Amino acid sequence: MLLLQVIVGGLLLGAIYALFSSGLTLIWGMMNFINFAHGEFVMLGMYVSLLVVMWLGGGPAAFGFAAAFSLFVLGVFVYLSLIRYVLRGPMLSQILSTFGLALLLRYTAFWIFSANFVSLPQTSLSGTLNVGGVLMPVPQLVAGVIAILLTIGLHLMLTRTKVGSQLLAVSEDRGAAMLMGIRPDRMQALAWGLSAGAAGIAGALMAIAYPWSPSVGETFGLTAFVVVALGGFGSVPGALLAGLIIGLIQALSAFWFGPIYKDIIVYALFVALLWLRPQGLMGKA
Amino acid sequence: MKIPAVTPTTLLAAGLLIYPLIFSGPFYLDIGVTFLLAAISASAWNIVGGYTGQVSVGHAMFFGLGAYAPLLCYTLFQWAPIAGIPFGIVFSIVLAVLIGIPTFRLTGHYFSMATIAVAELIRIYFGTWDLVGAAIGLQGPATARGWWDLTFRSELPYYYIFLAVLAVLLRLTFLIERRRFGYYLRAIKAGERAARSLGVPVQQIKIKALILSAVFTSLAGSLYSVKTGFIDPESGFGILVSVQMVIIAALGGAGKLYGPLVGALILIPLQTATNTWFGGGGTGLTFILYGGIIVLIARYEPGGLFELWERIAPRGWRRKNAS
Amino acid sequence: MWRFRVLKAAAAAATLFAFSAAEPVMAADVVKIGILWPLTGNAAAAGQASKAAAEVAVDIINNAHPELGDDLPLAKTAGLPNMGGAKLELVFVDHQGNPSLAQQLATRLITQDKVDVLMGAYQSSCSFTATAVAERYGIPFMVGESAALNITGRGFKWVFRGTPIASDYARTYMRFFGDMKKQGKKVDSIAIVNENTDYGTSVADAIVEEAKKANIPVAIRIPYIASSTDVSAQVLQLKEKQPDVVIFISYTADSILYMKTMKNLDYAPPMVIGDDTGFSDPSFIPAVADVAQGVMNRSAWAIGKPGSTTYKINEMYKAKTGRDLDDTSARNMQSFFALADAINRAGSTDPEKIRDALTKTDLKPEQLMMGYEGVKFDNTGQNILAATYLIQLHDKKYELIWPDKAAEAKLQWPMAGWKK
Repeated sequence: MLLLQVIVGGLLLGAIYALFSSGLTLIWGMMNFINFAHGEFVMLGMYVSLLVVMWLGGGPAAFGFAAAFSLFVLGVFVYLSLIRYVLRGPMLSQILSTFGLALLLRYTAFWIFSANFVSLPQTSLSGTLNVGGVLMPVPQLVAGVIAILLTIGLHLMLTRTKVGSQLLAVSEDRGAAMLMGIRPDRMQALAWGLSAGAAGIAGALMAIAYPWSPSVGETFGLTAFVVVALGGFGSVPGALLAGLIIGLIQALSAFWFGPIYKDIIVYALFVALLWLRPQGLMGKA
Repeated sequence: MKIPAVTPTTLLAAGLLIYPLIFSGPFYLDIGVTFLLAAISASAWNIVGGYTGQVSVGHAMFFGLGAYAPLLCYTLFQWAPIAGIPFGIVFSIVLAVLIGIPTFRLTGHYFSMATIAVAELIRIYFGTWDLVGAAIGLQGPATARGWWDLTFRSELPYYYIFLAVLAVLLRLTFLIERRRFGYYLRAIKAGERAARSLGVPVQQIKIKALILSAVFTSLAGSLYSVKTGFIDPESGFGILVSVQMVIIAALGGAGKLYGPLVGALILIPLQTATNTWFGGGGTGLTFILYGGIIVLIARYEPGGLFELWERIAPRGWRRKNAS
Repeated sequence: MWRFRVLKAAAAAATLFAFSAAEPVMAADVVKIGILWPLTGNAAAAGQASKAAAEVAVDIINNAHPELGDDLPLAKTAGLPNMGGAKLELVFVDHQGNPSLAQQLATRLITQDKVDVLMGAYQSSCSFTATAVAERYGIPFMVGESAALNITGRGFKWVFRGTPIASDYARTYMRFFGDMKKQGKKVDSIAIVNENTDYGTSVADAIVEEAKKANIPVAIRIPYIASSTDVSAQVLQLKEKQPDVVIFISYTADSILYMKTMKNLDYAPPMVIGDDTGFSDPSFIPAVADVAQGVMNRSAWAIGKPGSTTYKINEMYKAKTGRDLDDTSARNMQSFFALADAINRAGSTDPEKIRDALTKTDLKPEQLMMGYEGVKFDNTGQNILAATYLIQLHDKKYELIWPDKAAEAKLQWPMAGWKK
């Protein structure tokens, strides 16, 4: 019974991992580029939510939308001002660019918000549901379910809409896409916006259920790497599956071995994946 | 044909040698020692990160192993800390191989991600491992039992020891630059596929570079813990340790012999000044600055200040010192 | 031409040095106290709170405050009476939680700023390195709050610690459990949940050791990372083991998270004890009052009744920061008073005399703002009379419930939690 509780908790958190990791995998698939600041995008989504609640008194819908929108804009901005230049440059500048961005965002957040943990005041989502003996706190439940829906939504958008197929076309073959009249630069900017936006909403969802501080970006970033590595670089369905699996592994490790080990096991899994199956479950090698 | 007397190199060497004689106060000496340590770590990173283009953002893993080894030997066996240095180096070599083999066959990003993950993993694990002091860490000898404990009242001996290590490392890097190994490194950085097609044993060379880098980073860590007399997971394996190496090398010029040195020359006094000015009331602007600098370097001048200098330096100087 | 450029660069570097070493003007009868605390970084909130507390203490000492009564040393007079009214001057430095920086700053304080004594440093890692510098230079160092046991165990002569340490707390808890058992309450097993940096680990280690001596089995010990987002797995582990008492050694956010998660997962142990820190943070009670009634905490600081000295000190602190004085900052303040008292008795800024005065310290409980039995340092520099109360959350504030002789309210066992 307790075990079932642990499993459910792990899956709900894993769903949120899936959501923000899907953005990361999209960028990787399109541009062979890893965004080291991805965790910071999630963190910023959380703070945007806080600001909306504090200044505008908005509810979950309001700050969810605000987080998505503001991070989308940030993502596009980062692409246009920084990423598209370093893409043509040496590996050092590619890695340094988002790494430096991560530091910049993280410590600016420290400076503005201080290192204290914050959490949202009680929203309309509160209480706990008891489903057959398994206790599910409403905020976590809502966050997890919405995260899964959004991830699926992203996948559908990519595979069923025109814009989506354009994005995927640039991923697959840039040159051919250009010949078809698709502007890669525009698509890549859009991808960055979507990626950041997804991270932002994921942040807002997490904010509903969990406390945070500027330091969480680091952990989320690493988690995203692991999820993307497991799911396969470039695959959103892979990210969904992998996110759930990682959430589950984390919860079970914490329960069986102790909370410290949950991170160790996840990172060790990451290294093992790189050793044995770098293309992950569903990715292209 | 030897270049006579005053060149930037000899000026630099002279400056570093006489620095402690001019600025002899303990505080200034500590700054000098901190600078040398930073220059050593960053120059070690430079071998694999700058010259070979494999950007490790978790190099603290080697630094930390090197830092723990001496104090562990002291705590467990009461040995003189320096006796532990070789162990740190051995562990670092093993770690370098374990990481290099799987990740170097993939594109550069995998290696970078792996370095962060492994450094974090080790940091967390050491925080739980009682043998190495867990979260509390390890200490060195409080008072010297003999000269071999290297616990000095004044930091002057540290200064010259570290200077000697830096000189050896830079000399080694200089020799590498001129030899085939150095050409291989640069070829790999310029383009792996091309290098492979020219017959460069890419995988092997990358691992060798990582091992060499790990050895000196480990040594830097050992020097740090002997001098500070204390180590814990955060000061050994923390991400800021890795970041500092990268930013110093990148600022000065990654892939250039004196790049890390120049970076350290600028950043260490800057850091000290920030700590002094903002001392009691600061709000951590240092790292915002670091982040901003890294982004600017990446965007505008990946070659760091050295490359900037080469672009704006007067022609005469450039011709004279063309490498 | 390039030589000129190199010289210009050298000149620039030298100027940078000159700036970073700007020496302040020395005033005549002033006693300088260098204080190393984390004013930025993860522990910034604690560092800043303690800084404010130190500034209030300096105000009390440097200016005449007869309203604080006769017992609190140095309050009545302005400045240090034995030194002709000499004032205290504080020099704060921010070590950012970095032990190497703490070492460098300690060196700077001693050799550049020429402080007479040092105090600090919050994180044990920084206290280790800074005190080693003080020991080397022969400057007294007062540790106000760092937990690691052997900061005062290294055979150092110049290091003193005014605050109770992990083993003191552990013994207090065991004595409390002994009392509870005598009253017929069930304390057959305990659980320890500790954040895993030096603070949490030191206290948890001490509790494990004392529990062994007191023959109370530890059902489970759960170290965790303070910045965890989700603690459900840990709470479920506790639910599985069903200990009689859970002791939390945690910081603020995690303490709040645990209380809330326990409610969400319907886990209510008979008693929860929080080891200060997170449980004493001003934001704790407002966040969890409705779900954590009866939660216990320890504190050597109690604000006391209006009109009492402690109440007035709290008012001064509140006027400065807008918040009540917390236990950690109060402990720092007490250590500071003890230090100032020793300097006064030494009658000079000579380090050896101050050190000597410190070893002879013997403050009585009435002279303290904290609930210690006194301040007296043993030959390792540790205050052996440091003690702590146990308090419990009733409604919206903590009330003193143990030891009986100091209790203001009745102990609630088992704790009510969220149940009415």
